[in-house]
Amino acid sequence: MDFIPHDDKTIAEMLKDLGLKELDDLFDDIPKDLLKTQLNIPPGLSEPDLLNKLVKISEENKVYQSNFLGAGNYFHYIPSLVDFVISRSEFYTAYTPYQAEASQGYLQAIYEYQSIISRLTQMDVANASMYDGSTALAEAAIMSTIITSKNIVIIMEGIHPEYVEVVKTYCWGQNIELRIASQDDLMNNLSEEVASIMIQSPNFFGDIEDVVEISKKIKKSAPNCLIVQVMTDPTCLGVLQPPGLTNIDIFVAEGQAFGICPSFGGPGLGIFTAKQKYLRKIPGRLVGKTKELNGEREGFILTLQAREQHIRREKASSNICTNQALCALSALIYLLSVGSHGLREIATQNIQKAHYLKEKLALIPGYEILNKKPTYNEFLLKCPDIDKFIIECKNVNILPPLRISSYYPNMKNVLLVCVTEINSKESLDKFLDIASKFQENNMGDS
Amino acid sequence: MDTKIIFEKSFNRSNRNFITKMDVIAKDLTEIIPTSLIRKELPLPNVPEVEIVRHYVNLSNKNYGVDTGIYPLGSCTMKYNPKINEVIARIPGFSQIHPLQEDNQGSLRILIELSKLLTEITGMEGFTLQPAAGAHGELVGLLIMKKYFENKNILKTKIIVPDSAHGTNPASAKMAGFSIIEVQSNEQGEVPLDHLEYAMKQGDVAGIMLTNPNTLGVFDRNIKEITRIVHENGGLCYYDGANLNPMLGVCRPGDMGFDIVHLNLHKTFSTPHGGGGPGSGPVGVIEELIPFLPEPCLISNKDGMICVERKDTSIGRIKAFWGNFGIILRAYSYILALGAEGLSRVGRISVLNANYLRHNLKKRFHLPYDRICKHEFVLSDKGIPNDITTEDIAKRILDYGIYAPTIYFPLIVNGALMIEPTETETRNNLDRFIDILFKIYDEAKENPDILKKAPHNTPIGRLDAVLAARTPKLRE
Repeated sequence: MDFIPHDDKTIAEMLKDLGLKELDDLFDDIPKDLLKTQLNIPPGLSEPDLLNKLVKISEENKVYQSNFLGAGNYFHYIPSLVDFVISRSEFYTAYTPYQAEASQGYLQAIYEYQSIISRLTQMDVANASMYDGSTALAEAAIMSTIITSKNIVIIMEGIHPEYVEVVKTYCWGQNIELRIASQDDLMNNLSEEVASIMIQSPNFFGDIEDVVEISKKIKKSAPNCLIVQVMTDPTCLGVLQPPGLTNIDIFVAEGQAFGICPSFGGPGLGIFTAKQKYLRKIPGRLVGKTKELNGEREGFILTLQAREQHIRREKASSNICTNQALCALSALIYLLSVGSHGLREIATQNIQKAHYLKEKLALIPGYEILNKKPTYNEFLLKCPDIDKFIIECKNVNILPPLRISSYYPNMKNVLLVCVTEINSKESLDKFLDIASKFQENNMGDS
Repeated sequence: MDTKIIFEKSFNRSNRNFITKMDVIAKDLTEIIPTSLIRKELPLPNVPEVEIVRHYVNLSNKNYGVDTGIYPLGSCTMKYNPKINEVIARIPGFSQIHPLQEDNQGSLRILIELSKLLTEITGMEGFTLQPAAGAHGELVGLLIMKKYFENKNILKTKIIVPDSAHGTNPASAKMAGFSIIEVQSNEQGEVPLDHLEYAMKQGDVAGIMLTNPNTLGVFDRNIKEITRIVHENGGLCYYDGANLNPMLGVCRPGDMGFDIVHLNLHKTFSTPHGGGGPGSGPVGVIEELIPFLPEPCLISNKDGMICVERKDTSIGRIKAFWGNFGIILRAYSYILALGAEGLSRVGRISVLNANYLRHNLKKRFHLPYDRICKHEFVLSDKGIPNDITTEDIAKRILDYGIYAPTIYFPLIVNGALMIEPTETETRNNLDRFIDILFKIYDEAKENPDILKKAPHNTPIGRLDAVLAARTPKLRE
């Protein structure tokens, strides 16, 4: 099939209008030996055949009844109205709202997104979105070196390992020196040359860091060093202290948890926020409120574009052009749907349900919770036989937790367990049954 | 018309519609989390569902998309987005799959199959689907160049970018640590070979970033000479695939001599633009550059299983997980639907439609580069009466219920109007667009005030961009 409306007669008439005989005449300026006669691609498919084929391929994936896997991508309940709103043609088939007067709907929605993210994080400014949490963090690293004119960025242990890899790549591109430090040797690494320190909380292992205390310490010995916080599941902000009330200068997050389905890890949403004084160094689009030139009505427009690549070219604050607008719209509708009461309740349930599982697991012989700090919806579980545990999960239709050794080869027999509000008590108890089945003293029987 | 923002529609009523059953015995929260870590205020609005739906349905009515009508935004390829792709992206076996789960062969198959299709379409040898957008792809392509030369221990610090390039090109080059040598295009809109040769001989030049057809819609007839000169001087050639649409099934960047190509799946391969994303910007390379592609790379085993292959030479990761899979899936579905024949019709008809507009519009408007174009062409503001500006024309176009072309770009044309109709517009739509532009031209002569004060029929009048930038108000 194709989506081209012309019939042969129309094509012939249009060619005649141009004074041409055939379509190939339109390519007379291309050297003959460059013209490709036939692509080696199968013939096109009709809609039903296409759908059949793709459903079949999808069956090579497995959808589980309940999930205990997080690590940067989360299963949360998505209200029906999220997909309803983002499926409005006027939104999803539009492009970046260059013509403001014909794009007021989207511009207002993005302005509302910026507003709701500011309220949620208590940060002064939120941009219109970045690609995802990892690239938002990498752009924060670059931004911190521009603001401070310094060239060292310190990443604290506990940041998502894939995010660390992405920051490494971006920093290599710009010849920025990247250091990785544990909390204990952080102070030894602090010097006048450090542009920023990056910290994840809740961190990759589930720990909620005391950002207030850590940031106070950093600012005391290096007042000009910026502090960047990242998180991968911002539903926790329903309960946890927002970054804007601490010493955080730039806060970024992966926003997939806000109404965006897992979709094999993309598209997600890069949430990017900063203190007001850094406004003109922020990468990406910003929507602002303004007035009519010849009237008094208020409207919305892309603003501060002098920072952007299409005007500033190589002097721009970033090269980002297309962002994740539709995902920002999803996050907005999600946050509006659940509201303040709902988000608080969702975050509370994540904590309570994860805590329930944690406490019960700790009682089973051979199992140990490795976190020493409070946790949100993820925690590290040491278990006697990780392979048997994972196989049994799959057998009873549970998506097993992450083998942490896939990122940290030294951490054998440790799972990163994730529990969200959609894990029912029944699924938690099923998980506990598996643990009991493979507890230390009856391993031989199983 | 309702002009309130959503925060003004809040009630102090909690809504439990989306809250799951709390079926474990709850503890006092402060027993689990220290009080100092718990927030006190959470200033989000609580808006009833019906009001949320109405608010955004009303906002959508104040927005224009491809499904509303012709969207002739040059270099953005605003073609129709097939609805079947939306259905496919929502199949639970794709949408509910976790990026780190095992039992993911279906998703990996999509990735590897689309890579193969793009390889054939572009004439490259290997692909990464990791980049999330075109500019992200540019950055990846340039980092591959950087790594390639680092690996050979050759210092390269500069890159050639013609003045007709997209603004993202120089910005991406800078992010990869390169400085820019700008080459001016000649009166034909092409790269002057002597200038290119001179620039390449300046030493430590990594190569060139080129768009072909370029932003004037002009195919550079010397393309084989250009790539030869760059290669002979030790450089690599980067193809900005933002303008690939007219080349589909007609001519391949690989055959032109390019070494690295980025594509915009949201332009050429019909995935929705989403109001500015999510997009996807895959990068293809020649065989010699495959070792430098970002992680993770996929290979097919003998038994047909797909797995990740680690390469020490890779530039590293450029995004978490596997790229914008939902977008990749839609593009895969589009290519399967069209097949070889459908794709080559896309290339040909997109060029036919653009030339039909070019040929008719030049009867009234100034066309600085007057030759057969590819997918787009650029008019200038020369000769438009009564000091009417390009912006005036664009705003007046909105009054006729359609979207305006890209304006003031490329920078090498004064008051540019960059027009790209795509292959999915009917002749009637094209004729109507021509009629509207002619009518506006006449209005400029007879009633210039109506243009200067345009738009009149949109939900709001022309907005003050200067005020917005001078006193930024970015949130409530």
